[in-house]
Amino acid sequence: MNKNQLDLLVALQDIDLMLKELDDVKQLGFEVRNEGAEALEKAREELTQKIGKPLLGKYERLRARYKRAIVPVKGDTCLGCFMRLPTYLITHKDKHNQIITCEGCGRILYWLE
Amino acid sequence: MNIADLLGFLSEERFIPELKAKTKDEALEELTDLLVEANLIRNKHLILEMLHRRESVGSTGIGHGIAIPHGRTTAAPELIIAFGRSSNGIAWEAIDGKPVHLIFLVIAPPHEEDNQYLPMLGKLVEFLHDENNRKKLLEIKTYQEFEELIKA
Repeated sequence: MNKNQLDLLVALQDIDLMLKELDDVKQLGFEVRNEGAEALEKAREELTQKIGKPLLGKYERLRARYKRAIVPVKGDTCLGCFMRLPTYLITHKDKHNQIITCEGCGRILYWLE
Repeated sequence: MNIADLLGFLSEERFIPELKAKTKDEALEELTDLLVEANLIRNKHLILEMLHRRESVGSTGIGHGIAIPHGRTTAAPELIIAFGRSSNGIAWEAIDGKPVHLIFLVIAPPHEEDNQYLPMLGKLVEFLHDENNRKKLLEIKTYQEFEELIKA
């Protein structure tokens, strides 16, 4: 459940990133169909149906505050606020599957490694 | 930014002179697998999902046998480029309807300190609009020849 939820949230953030840059890539000469943004919004809507409401609410609140709700962790550092994470989080056995937030900024963590 | 900067994001390990892939999906997977093998990403499914979603918005086949699948994803640690070539060509629903022979995969994290992703995409498009560059890319055999062409 949690593994899917984290992956779904990452996919959701990836859609939000794509929506934001559609015009930019179109200007570079890439094809972006007129209905492209609409299709992405639809995919976004379908994705949100699969995410638990409290978690989705958390994502939207974090997005409103920080622009990006999920931030990568490199080594032992949250790349959102650059705070070193405590050892118990770094060594968390299920950190790739669980929804874990940074104790410094509150954003959801995605471990790159 | 210069096209030679591309070499900072691509390496020999991410250079496939002849793709095994016969379809667009297979090509995306073959190139993404390189990133897994290089330990650059740990979840290829998230990358593939993003790339397929991007294709659903509009083909990344920009014509003249070129495709530049691209996108930002939370699962990318840095700006990464991989290259693959298909002598036979791959159907990509490109804007000119022609099969694709040269594929540059470009992925980037949500945020980069120096914002190189969009400028790099732009430089790549510009470089590949030149017919001579496309011809040479179809002829090169090794990564060293690729490097020389990009640096020239």
